[in-house]
Amino acid sequence: MSKKKPVIFDIGWNACINCGACVAICPQEAGFISPFDTIAVDRPCDIACLLCEDICPVRTITHREAVMVPTAAALLAL
Amino acid sequence: MTKFEYDLLIVGSGPAGATVARYAANAGLSVLIVDKKQELGSPIQCSGAVSRHALEEVELPLDEEYILEPIYGFAIYNQVGESTKIDYRKIKGDEYGSGPGKKPLGYVVDRRRFDRYCMTQAERAGAETWLKTEASGYATLPDGRCAVSVKRYNEDIEITCKVLVGADGLMSQVGKWAGLQTHIRITELAGCLQFIVDNVETEGLLEIITGHEWAPGGYAWVFPKGHGYAEIGLGVIPTMTKQPAQWHLDKFIKQSFFKERFANCRILEVQGGGVPLAAPLRTQYADNLVLVGDAARHVNPITGGGIHTALNGGKIAANFLIEHFQNPAATFTAKDLKGYQDAWLAELGDKMWSLYHKKTAVFHHEDIPTRDAYLYETMSDYFDPHSEYKKI
Ligand SMILES: Cc1cc2nc3c(=O)[nH]c(=O)nc-3n(C[C@H](O)[C@H](O)[C@H](O)COP(=O)(O)OP(=O)(O)OC[C@H]3O[C@@H](n4cnc5c(N)ncnc54)[C@H](O)[C@@H]3O)c2cc1C
Ligand code: SF4
Ligand code: SF4
Repeated sequence: MSKKKPVIFDIGWNACINCGACVAICPQEAGFISPFDTIAVDRPCDIACLLCEDICPVRTITHREAVMVPTAAALLAL
Repeated sequence: MTKFEYDLLIVGSGPAGATVARYAANAGLSVLIVDKKQELGSPIQCSGAVSRHALEEVELPLDEEYILEPIYGFAIYNQVGESTKIDYRKIKGDEYGSGPGKKPLGYVVDRRRFDRYCMTQAERAGAETWLKTEASGYATLPDGRCAVSVKRYNEDIEITCKVLVGADGLMSQVGKWAGLQTHIRITELAGCLQFIVDNVETEGLLEIITGHEWAPGGYAWVFPKGHGYAEIGLGVIPTMTKQPAQWHLDKFIKQSFFKERFANCRILEVQGGGVPLAAPLRTQYADNLVLVGDAARHVNPITGGGIHTALNGGKIAANFLIEHFQNPAATFTAKDLKGYQDAWLAELGDKMWSLYHKKTAVFHHEDIPTRDAYLYETMSDYFDPHSEYKKI
């Protein structure tokens, strides 16, 4: 199986109807959710199956490749 | 720190959770329901069609507080607009109708008002409800109970209970906490969009439009919505189309055999959601935990209807728990709670499994015209007055 690259999602909130369909299809661990009943947008998804984008009734989810720059927190922890 | 202890903690006050709460509280169990919403049922993710039988079966009063419009039957359409009409006012005119002494077959309800009503009934039976309270995890305790973490208006609170009831709907996380297999296949989740509209006539029937052309993998619908309004919606399976539900709904409104009927429609509300046309979960219980309603995929895989099954499943879960709690030495391990699933399968689940097999057989046909013909026939049979399935 090819290892997919982690992605970060961007949700067009203007079109989102807060329906939760993206969360329902998502195979991520528990809690990969935003406060608006969508999939999380504040951290990368390493599964990157993109089913959330396919199920969205208004197709308002897009993604970009997560760039693995060490965060300030990670640097401080060094 | 205040200690919160209950027999049951129910996550989610939809039709499933509120029904468990009402029956359990009525029988004397101490019950807390938590729901993360500020207004139950909102934003609406449901068309609100439910049979009268389903409401009566769980002893929910028929109340104009939540009823939008009575329903008297169904009209099933094929791709080109030919239809099978099943109007109970005509088939059993002495029993069904709007006149004195006659009854509707079902209702379209407003889910905001309906969910609030179900919660009120649970509260009046003695359950406690916390809104704006999100549950985020649970851990079993050495004393045989479990601790559930919730956040209520930003305050972290831990609640101890004997049984945690996951009634947290389609987006359910509670099952995941326990490591249950809750995944839905992409071929079995319909992405749905619906508009409440003005200027579309209806006649007291739930109209269901089949055909790959309009709703690949699902179907389209036109429901009466009270106050002279209607609802137009559809659901599609993502693997059967490259376009989202929104695109298909636009096409259905502008190009289908109903295009003249819809020509002057004005959109008053936009709603949507996911509908699992899937099998129920194979395991719906774990240590100190049971799942009900959409969280357990208690959804009719042919119609996508889940209110009846949420209400009825809630009652089955409550009855099992009430009986189980009667034994003062009762424990609450997965083994102890398996009886809930057995009772559910016997009363409801086995029928849902056979509907699931029927649905799978329809969508097994690769050839689109053949599949369309089977879907039309299956839907028409399903709603037929002589159908063996009329109870779910
Ligand atoms: C577009 C569409 C149309 C539909 N039309 C119909 C129809 O016409 N007829 C029909 O019978 N069914 C219909 N359904 C299905 C029906 O809506 C569901 O099956 C039904 O709502 C399931 O009820 P439930 O109680 O299991 O869950 P829900 O009604 O989803 O309730 C779950 C509750 O849990 C709460 N919750 C979730 N997570 C947490 C948490 N972590 N902490 C606290 N609270 C939480 C939520 O806020 C919510 O209030 C439709 C569904 C869709 C999407
Ligand atoms: S890509 Fe897959 S795993 Fe990642 S958020 Fe979307 S549905 Fe979930
Ligand atoms: S599926 Fe799309 S519309 Fe629905 S909550 Fe997710 S992003 Fe929003």
